[in-house]
Parts: sequence; C-alpha cells; structure tokens
Amino acid sequence: MKAKTEVPQGTLALMVLKTLDVLGPLHGYGVAKRIEQISGDLLSVNQGTLYPVLLKLEQEGSIASEWGTSENNRRARFYRLTRSGRKQLRIETQDWEQTATIIARFFAVKAEDLQ
Amino acid sequence: MKTFRRFLSRVRSLGTKKPDEERLREEIEEHLALQTAENIRAGMPPAEARRRAVLKFGAVEAVKESYREQRGLPFMETLIQDARHALRRLRMAPAFTVATVLTLALGIGATTSIFTLVNAILLKALPVANPGELYRLGREAHCCYLGGYSQEKEFSIVSYDLYRYLKDNTRGFSELAAFPSQGSFGVRRSNTSDAAQSYPGEFVSGNYFRMFGIRPYAGRTFTDADDQAGAPPVAVISYRLWEQRYGADPSVIGSTFDVDQKPVTVVGVAPPGFFGDTLSNAATEIFLPLNTEPVVESDSDLKKYNIHWLNLIGRIEPGVSPTSIEAQMRVELKQWLVMHWSEMSASDRAKFPEQTLFLSPGGAGITSMRQRYEDWLLILMAVTGFVLLIVCANVANLMLIRSMERRQQTSVSMALGAPAYRVISQPLLESILLGLAGGGAGLAIAFASTSLIWRFAFPSLQGVAAVPIEASPSVPVLLFALATSIATGLCFSIAPAWMSIRVDPIEALRCSVRSMVRTGSLSRKALVILQAALSLVLLSAAGLLTTALRGLEHQDFGFEQDYRVVVSFNPRLAGYQAPQLSLLYKRIHDSIATIPGVSSVALCLYSPPKGGWGAGVWIDGGPAPGPKDDNSSSWNRVTPSYFQVVGTPIVRGRGITEQDTATAQRVAVVSQAFVRKFFGNDDPIGKYFGGKAENGHEFEIVGVAKDARYFPHVLDQLNSPVYFLPEAQADYTQMNLGSLFLHDIVILERPGANVSFASMREAIASVDPDMPITAIRTLKEQVALQFTQQRLIARLTSLFGVLSLLLASIGLYGVTAYNVGRRTNEIGVRMALGADRSQIVRLVVRSAFRLILLGLLIGLPLTVGVSRFLANQLYGTNPYNPLLILTAVGVLGFSTLAASLIPALRASLISPLKALREE
Repeated sequence: MKAKTEVPQGTLALMVLKTLDVLGPLHGYGVAKRIEQISGDLLSVNQGTLYPVLLKLEQEGSIASEWGTSENNRRARFYRLTRSGRKQLRIETQDWEQTATIIARFFAVKAEDLQ
Repeated sequence: MKTFRRFLSRVRSLGTKKPDEERLREEIEEHLALQTAENIRAGMPPAEARRRAVLKFGAVEAVKESYREQRGLPFMETLIQDARHALRRLRMAPAFTVATVLTLALGIGATTSIFTLVNAILLKALPVANPGELYRLGREAHCCYLGGYSQEKEFSIVSYDLYRYLKDNTRGFSELAAFPSQGSFGVRRSNTSDAAQSYPGEFVSGNYFRMFGIRPYAGRTFTDADDQAGAPPVAVISYRLWEQRYGADPSVIGSTFDVDQKPVTVVGVAPPGFFGDTLSNAATEIFLPLNTEPVVESDSDLKKYNIHWLNLIGRIEPGVSPTSIEAQMRVELKQWLVMHWSEMSASDRAKFPEQTLFLSPGGAGITSMRQRYEDWLLILMAVTGFVLLIVCANVANLMLIRSMERRQQTSVSMALGAPAYRVISQPLLESILLGLAGGGAGLAIAFASTSLIWRFAFPSLQGVAAVPIEASPSVPVLLFALATSIATGLCFSIAPAWMSIRVDPIEALRCSVRSMVRTGSLSRKALVILQAALSLVLLSAAGLLTTALRGLEHQDFGFEQDYRVVVSFNPRLAGYQAPQLSLLYKRIHDSIATIPGVSSVALCLYSPPKGGWGAGVWIDGGPAPGPKDDNSSSWNRVTPSYFQVVGTPIVRGRGITEQDTATAQRVAVVSQAFVRKFFGNDDPIGKYFGGKAENGHEFEIVGVAKDARYFPHVLDQLNSPVYFLPEAQADYTQMNLGSLFLHDIVILERPGANVSFASMREAIASVDPDMPITAIRTLKEQVALQFTQQRLIARLTSLFGVLSLLLASIGLYGVTAYNVGRRTNEIGVRMALGADRSQIVRLVVRSAFRLILLGLLIGLPLTVGVSRFLANQLYGTNPYNPLLILTAVGVLGFSTLAASLIPALRASLISPLKALREE
C-alpha cells in the first residue's frame, strides 16, 4: 500500500481558506470532507487536527464562525471567510504560485540548458 | 498585527474557558454524527459506522489538548488554577494557616516598623525641591557657637562675615543660605491677652526658602530686602503653628506678633510638611531673617567676625562639580583668615596651616539626629533581622511537616507523569501566598506599633512640637514590606519544595503508611538548632542592654534625685533686662521658699544633668596653655545653698553661700575632675584661676564639690571638669549676656510633703504673672528623660528576645510533637516490652534537649561576639557576664522543658495495644 502524504505545516490552513472561499460557509465536517475529496484521498488528515487550525484562523481574524443548523437538523458551528481572510488567501495564493513556478522551472532544467 | 490580534483574543478567552470547552465538545460530537450518518448511507451497520468515524477523526483527547494550547494562555491558566488550588488547601488547614500567617506577621511587622524608623531618620531627604542638588558645609553636624579663627578638623560653622565672604566670592552655587542652630522664641500675638509661648525658631538668610525651593502656603516667604540691616522685622511661621495655634486664621498674615517682646510682622506661612533644615524632635515653627537677630537678641552675634554660629547649605547650579566649589571655598577660607591675621591669637595662627573645609551632600539637611541614632537603629535592624530569621526557620519547619504529609499525593502525581516544575510550583505558590498574607498582616502590625515606638522614642516636651516625621506608610516602606514577605516566602519554602521532588514514586507508594526514608528530619532538627542559637543571642543581648541601662540609671550621679523638683522658666521671654535679674531671682527664691513643705530652693543656669556653659581655664601662676593644649572646662552659675539643694557633697572647703556678695572677693567652687585636670595632686583651696587669657586672678577657689554627672550626652562617660560661680557676683556688664538668664529652679521638699506643681506655679505667678514656665518635672523624671533612647533599645530588644524565645519554643514543640506522632509504633513496642511511662517521657525530653544543647553550642560563640560588639557601644559594660549568659541558658532550658513535656506526656499515655494495632 502506498503511504499517504503528510500535510506540511501551514498548508492545511491555506486549504481551509480556499475551501471556504469556493464553497461559502461550512461546518468543520464539511471542510474536512472537501479537503479529502479534492486531494483525492492522497492526503491523509486526521480529521480532528482541523479544529485547532480553525481556532487559530479564527483568533487571527481570517475566518469567523456562528451557530447554524446542519443537514441532519442539528446545531453546528459554521465557518466563513472574513474580508481579511480573503486578503490573506490572495497573498498566500500568490506566494504559493510563485514558489511552485520556481520549483517547476528547476525541475524542467536539463544539463545541456546550463552549458 | 496578526500575532497581536491573536494574543488579544487569547487573553479574552481566559474568561470563557467553560463555554469554549463546551463548544469544542459539541463540534466534535456533530462531526462524528455526520460522519457516522455518511458511513451508514454507504452501507455499514451503525456500530461499525460509528467506530470508523471515530477512527477517522483521530485521538479526541490529543485534539482537545492541542486545541486548549491554542486557545488561552496556558501558563496564566495554570498559575491561576494552582493559586486557587493552594488557597483551597490552605482553607482546609485553618490551624496551620493561622499559625503561619501570625508568625510571619510578627516577624515582618517587627522588621517593617523598625525599617520605618530607619527610613525616616537615616534615609529620607528633606521635603524640598531636588534635594540632590543641595550641599552643606561640614562633614559632621556641629553645634552651636565656636569662637576664634580656627576649628578642629574642619571649618564647619561660620560667622556672618565669613558667610558673606563665601557667598560673594564662590561661583557654582545658585543660592547659598545660612542659618544658626535652632533656638526658641517667646511668641505672642500683639494686642491680645494670650501669654507668650515658647516655640522653636531660627534666623535664616533671605534666600533660605528660595534655596530650598519652598513656596509659601499663604502670604510670601522672605526676599533679600527683608534680610537687610534696618529692614522692618518680618517672620514666616510654620503651617503647624498657623493651623494648631491660630486655627488657620488668614488674618494672621500681615498682623503683628511679639517675638521675644519685639514687634514682628508675620508675612507668610510655610507649606505643610516643611520642618526647616534639621530633623529633630522639635520642628522649627517660626523663621526670622538673619538681620533681625540684632533687633531680637540683646547680645547679637551678627556683627562679630570671630563668633562662628551659622550652618551653610547651598544649591549648586546644574552641571557644576561640588569638588570644584569645595576647592574654591578652601582658598576663600584661607584668604578670609589672612584678612583677620592681626586679630588672631597665637594658637589660631599656629593652627592656620591645617584649616580647611569640606562640602557634603545636604539633601537630608543638618543630620545631628541621624548621627545620634544611626548605630542604635542599625543594631535594632539587626535584631529584627534575627527575629525574622527565626520566623523563617519556624515556618519552614511547619512547611516541612506539611510536605511530609503530602508525600503520598506527590508521589502519585509524579507516578502519573506530572512534570517536576508543576510539583514544585504547588508548595512554592502556597508559600508565597502565605508570605504575602503574613506581609499584609505584618504591615498592619507595623503601622500600629510604629506610632507607639515613635511616641516612646521621642517623647515630645511640653509646649514643644513632636518629631516632624510621618510614621505612616510610604512607598519605600511598602516596597520593603513586600520584598521582605516574598523573600521570606521563598526562604522558608525552598527546602520543602526541593524535598518534594526528591520523592521516589515507587518508594513512596510502597510504604504508604510509614515513611521509610528519613528525609527531612535532619533539616527540621537543624532549623530548631538554629532557632535556639539565635534566641540565645537575642536573650543575652537583651539582658546585656537591660543591665547596662540599669547601670546607667542607678549609677552614682553625684546628686540626689528624691524629693527634688525642677521648675524651668524663661525670664528672657518675659522681657527682663540684665540689671533687673538679681532682684527677680531673689523674689522668686523667697516666694517659693515660703510654700509649706519646701525645705530649700536654689536657682541655677543648668540643673543636672542638663550640662554647662563652656570656657577656657587659665590657672594663676601656672604655665600658659600651649596652642594645642586642652584647657576647657564647663561652668554653671548658681545661687547659695545650691549644693545642699541638689545633694552634691562638698569634699573640701565650702560651698557657695550668702556671704559671696557682689562686693566680696570673687570665688568659685570646683569639681573633683577640675582639680584632677588642672591641679593634679596639689591642694586647690586658696588658688586663683580665670576664664580669660589675660586674667588668671579672676576667681579664688573656696571649695571642692564631689564629681557629678552633668552632661546629658555623656552620662555613660567619665566626669568632666566643672566650676560653679555665685549668681550674686555675676558681671552684668559682660558680653555673654545669655549666661545671666538662669533657667532652672531646683526645689527640695521635706520628705512626705508632696508639694503640688500648682502651688509652685502660683508662687512664681505672684512674682510675675507673665513669667513663662517651660516645664515642671521631678529631678527623677529629668534624669530618666536622658535615657529614653537607651530604654527604648533595651525594651525593644527584650521584647524581640521574648518573641524569639516564644517562636523557638513553638518550633520545638512542633518538631517534638510530630516526632512523637511518627514514633507511636516504636513507643508502643517499647512499652509492650516493659518500658514504663517515666522512661518514655525521658526518651522524648532527652531528644528535645539534645537539639537545644547543640543550639547552645553554636549560639555561645555568636553571643560572645555580639556582646563584645554591644559592649563597645555601652561604656562600662562587661561583655562577658557569665551570670547573664547563664540566665539566658536557663530560660532557654526551661522553655525547652515546657515545650517538650506536653508531647512527652502525651507519648507516655499511649496504650501499647492501641499503638500496635494502628499499624
């Protein structure tokens, strides 16, 4: 069996922000499920570790939360992106893309290109 | 920004711990429910669906833990939690808590109240603007008048002319002010029926208030124009006088007062709290400009170049070094002396090269009080330090016993993985809480006792204000108390805390009932030994001081104290002039002598032990004293039968009698010390001496009086030479007019007569109803007043000695009782094997005495050291007083017996059967 990839520090937070950006307000389970779906089960997340991350983002003011009702009619905590969260997402997306481009270029380089 | 916002929300969430936990629990529950539902939809049976959901979620407790760490401030929360826990534990042991807090309160209270005194007298600056900029002339405080053109060691007081010279020529002072030692004035509001009252007052230069940076509370302070010859006389009074005597009446400002019978306009009131330049037990109440001195005083010193009587304090300009000012002033002093070379005596000229002066920090003003009390206060501080050490030892003992009881709990915590710092922080926090509680209670004790000590230390004289020092809390005192409490708390808790982490969990759990390790018992014993040693030191010191005081009080004073009353009066305040005095004295004498019960009466300049007037002595026919020889003596002016009234025997010749009239040969009676100093073994009767260099033939010696203790500040030192002159032969044309005004009337009553003070007042009032009487007390009281300071120290040390003994006994009791409790089993076995009760009692008492004996062994050399130090402070005290040390040892032994007997008796009542069953 192929070992599942560990989630690097900080990436999980970015995934949470992006998920909320795309799908709008979600409860914790919803966020966990989306991340799992999108990563195509390649990424293993102990779903529980999501909650400390949510708390940290909320303390930083990137997301806000309030009580709502879930699909099976129970009280659930819904998280949504705030304005500063959106800004942060934009910055971090740019950073990430920049990093990815640089790394991609390094991979594309062949020995003869550097002669 | 992000980090800051996060920190804020963390702080905020300190208060929302419960709802936050609840929210997380709910979210997890919801998460699991949704996942389970999804799994069921995927076809799993419900139980399996739930199991998978939980597995997928991961370790719930770990998530909660990491959530909590994210949430608030875990360190703060732990601290609050621990503090709450500690408080709960303390509440559960009320006896322990109360005992500890009380013990601490006594120790901290004693230390703090002594520190209040130290702070006020030794550390505090004058209540003026920027005291750090003030510098004063002289290293030591000097009093009050010095004549001539040379001074020993340093030029520390100056004449008005020298002051002007220094002021005009020195650069670097923004102001240089001058003022003599405090005197007293008879003050009365003009055109009122009030009698003149005597208040402490002083002359000050016109820039005095400006130099101190003191603004008037009302009216104005002095200007340079006020301090000029011929300026209308003005005065500034203290806030105290204004408020207490005149009810803060605004009309006082601008109105005329009689100061020593001279009209003076009050122009302002000094601010509250300003007590002048010198801390003493009589704050200055009235200030007059220096140039008013010739107006008010009948014998003015202002114009005399060679009478040095002024203290100097200056405010230096910012950035100027006091050393450079000092150097300038030294040169100026020499220049000034050279200007007066022609007036200088041979001895002044001989001493000219070594004349110099010093500047010293003047922010504390003239510090004569500091000099007088410094050593004693430091001794007291050391004594209270010892008491505090004993208190620490005692509380540490209690804490040790407590930590022993907690061993089991500690080992369980450690076995469950509690980190060492959490295990230590518990008892440490408990101790600091106890320390703070003790400190709070101690502060209360300190405030109550400081004012008591205050009244005790500085009994204010009649009509004279009390010490202008606040005995109330001040920031340094509060800080001191806080620091002491925390230091104490740490000091007594380090041993128990250290011991608690040395617990081996397995070891402790295995023998849960009896402790196999003897950890702690050694340190507990060491603490008791330390306490015993310190108590011995304190008790011996208290004994030594008390003996020394008794020695002082019961020494041979050379005069009698029983049946004698001293009435102090002030004819100067009533406006008498020199030529009227002789008649006045005679009328007062006759008026008092007719009171029924009065045996005899004498008037004098100084009644014992108040001192004498200083003078040089030239013996007729003897060699002239060299420039550096000491030919000083004191003298006193008395009326006939003075020696009989004060009870000093005449050992040769005769005393002063009625036959020594103004027209007869001028005579003197001298003391034995005078004879020893000036005549050695020769017979002085019939010899002549004089008080001035030109005239050795002034007085004929007609008698020798027994030595007596005349000087208040040297009562514990050798007798100094004195001579007595008859009042009737006083030279009413001479310069020293002040010596003509006799201050004291000594009255000898018939035994059992009990003459009332009121009848004495009436007798004086019948001569002159306006005559101010400054004090009436028995001679006994007057003598006792000289020992207030020594008595205060002796009593306080005794108090602390008893306190330490009490604390040591309690400590010993605690240790013995605890040991007996732990040895219940052993005692049971011994009794079962045939030991009888007396053997058990002996067993317990013996082990207690072993500790005390060790304490004595350590304490004895300490005691000897301390005694030697004290003996240096107390003249005529034998530091090795075996009886005293034996008594201290005896007292200590007795209290040991008392402290160990109770647990011993309890041990002897243990029933062997019950003791064995308890296992």
